[in-house]
Amino acid sequence: MAQLSLDHLTKVFTDDDGSDIVAVDDVTVNIEDGEFLVLVGPSGCGKSTTLRMVAGLETVTSGDIRLGEESIADQKPQDRDIAMVFQSYALYPHMTVRENMSFGLEESTDMSDDEIHERVEDAADLLGIPELLGRKPGELSGGQRQRVALGRAIVRDPEVFLMDEPLSNLDAKLRSQMRTELQRLQEDLDTTTMYVTHDQTEAMTMGDRIAVLDAGELQQAGTPLECYHRPANRFVAGFIGEPSMNFFDATVEGDRLITDAFDYPLTEEMREAVDGANGVTLGIRPEDIEVAADDSPTGGDEFGTTVDVVEPMGNENAVYLGFDEDPTDTFVATVGGMRRIDAGERVVACFPSDAIHLFDDASGDALHNRSLADAEDAGAEPRV
Amino acid sequence: MRRFFDRLTQARSGRSSHRSSEDDADARDAMADGQRPATDGGVPTGAGTGDGTGSDATPTDEAGALGRGLARLDDRFGEDFVESSPFWLPPFLLMGFFVYGAIAWNVLISLTDYEGFGNADYSQLDFEMYARAFGDPTVVQAAINTFVLLIAFTGICLVLGMLIAILVDRNVRFDNTLRTIYLLPMSLSFVVTAQFWLWMYDYNNGIVNQLLGVVNLGPYNFIGNPRLVLGAVVFALVWQFSGYAMVVYLAALRAIPSEHFEAAKVDGASIPRMYWRVIVPQLKGATISAAVVLMVFALKAFDFLYSLVGGYRPPNGADILATKMVREAYQNTNWAYGSAIAVLLFLMALGVIGPYLAHQYRNDNL
Repeated sequence: MAQLSLDHLTKVFTDDDGSDIVAVDDVTVNIEDGEFLVLVGPSGCGKSTTLRMVAGLETVTSGDIRLGEESIADQKPQDRDIAMVFQSYALYPHMTVRENMSFGLEESTDMSDDEIHERVEDAADLLGIPELLGRKPGELSGGQRQRVALGRAIVRDPEVFLMDEPLSNLDAKLRSQMRTELQRLQEDLDTTTMYVTHDQTEAMTMGDRIAVLDAGELQQAGTPLECYHRPANRFVAGFIGEPSMNFFDATVEGDRLITDAFDYPLTEEMREAVDGANGVTLGIRPEDIEVAADDSPTGGDEFGTTVDVVEPMGNENAVYLGFDEDPTDTFVATVGGMRRIDAGERVVACFPSDAIHLFDDASGDALHNRSLADAEDAGAEPRV
Repeated sequence: MRRFFDRLTQARSGRSSHRSSEDDADARDAMADGQRPATDGGVPTGAGTGDGTGSDATPTDEAGALGRGLARLDDRFGEDFVESSPFWLPPFLLMGFFVYGAIAWNVLISLTDYEGFGNADYSQLDFEMYARAFGDPTVVQAAINTFVLLIAFTGICLVLGMLIAILVDRNVRFDNTLRTIYLLPMSLSFVVTAQFWLWMYDYNNGIVNQLLGVVNLGPYNFIGNPRLVLGAVVFALVWQFSGYAMVVYLAALRAIPSEHFEAAKVDGASIPRMYWRVIVPQLKGATISAAVVLMVFALKAFDFLYSLVGGYRPPNGADILATKMVREAYQNTNWAYGSAIAVLLFLMALGVIGPYLAHQYRNDNL
């Protein structure tokens, strides 16, 4: 067991025409011993490349990867003590499940056949697939293949698990089931794990910490709730959360924020935070917007709106609202699923001041994050 | 024409309902009587019923016998047996007559004593020619040569083709150029290959002997020496066909997901081990199909040997069953004897193709 550190890790691909493409740009992140780190980001953000560099499948352009105290950046994949689970599972089709699971042990260790046999049996028991050991991958369902792919990694008992979107080929129900199972498994084995996904539900629910990447750069590394409530910048705020945060471009005028559709009064705290910033973006999560069914906004943080579209989810309704001043510019709020609300209805939307995030337009950095009155780290200074 | 299509769609829907129906015997009968004959293309007279309205009505028995007969054929040989016959029947008959008929006739001739001019006498059939062939050392030698050629040529082509394919697949420099260079000989005719390998093998001026001379070997009489000639022929054929094996392997290699290579690497396998245990086993299908094609080429090496010497008598030590057969039949007019040798060659070819066909059949690919 060991700590995995990525130190200013950079990967540059050179295109056929000689131009350079920076896939991973100066990423530094530490993964503690036994920690489950989720790398998350949109397609093409460099998260898989990062993982593949750790696996040794891509060379490192600059920077270092350390496992414990030892640098593994220049080692061959077979010399690094890691196991990887691939998105497509990459099970060898001509081998039985048992042979698939034994392969790594046969190649990378000098264990006796009996020991290997035992390890494979144990891993199969752990995953609940002992009856599949004699079958070929072609005879297995997607979920079973997934388990075998996990089993192949587990039997190796490596220092680090690398998982490249291992659940993305499963259907929704199986995926959520495997999600909890994988989490439990990782807790039991207590192996350092690096997990790549584009699915923010997986990121939020599975990771001890998540690292958000965009365009090759690390945007934020923190616990899921930190990233959710205290996003470091506008990208993280927009990426984490579903439906995603509403953003309004605004300018600061005295103690008010002026947007195309509304004016918003700034509190003292916020005013200090935006001091010196020219343009700011106001962000508010859909669930923080309070929607009241009367027709008379009191001004201040309440606005008259018209319901444009309602998306009922069962547990909640996603309501798209248009401002009276500018009905084409809609934003989304979520209300309870039992509440009846119809398109065309006039409602009042309230943006509570303790739920407001403010981001600098130029850098995208967070100037002010929502207050967490009842959270443990409440009262922390707003990040500037 | 419209009516025909109407009936066709009707019959279709009838058939699909029959598939889902529990009581399919009844449904089938109804179809046989009512709608089915109408779809059978070539039998317009028997198709009196089935005009739009009568799909569910109990059918009258106008076309009963014929319809029932056709439906029974369909039941026996699978759906659409009769409807599809215009498409498969003509080629079936042509192939049957000109290929299988000819084989049968050849077998028949091999049982006679037909030789010289005149006509075959089919009244006395025996295995005399086969006995003669088995007792003839030149035939036995030709059979051995054929077998050696078959195995050596196929084996070397496959191994070489696989190695080159792996190199090309690993993106060595100029892989596209390499691929073209290796595949190009395949497009040459046997006649061309034979001629210029004849020059290259030339005892005095051939480039092969010149090159060997550089390292103080030879010169060897590749064509004249009975111990070398078969090897020389195999080498020339390998030169021509290993490119084909390469292309087949390359396609198979490219079809293996790159994750398999990566998974094997992460699993700790060295590159040779990775190929040996993970990649090569996945090339089994490609090996089988390439081997079958190559073996068939090996059996056809007649063209090559014929153009090597410009006649039916190949160099000593390179006589194969095909050349022996043609020589007996067309030079010595031993028609029956030639036929018997042809049958032996046919059985050898069958020995190659048979297992492959059986394998394909078992896997439901036929």
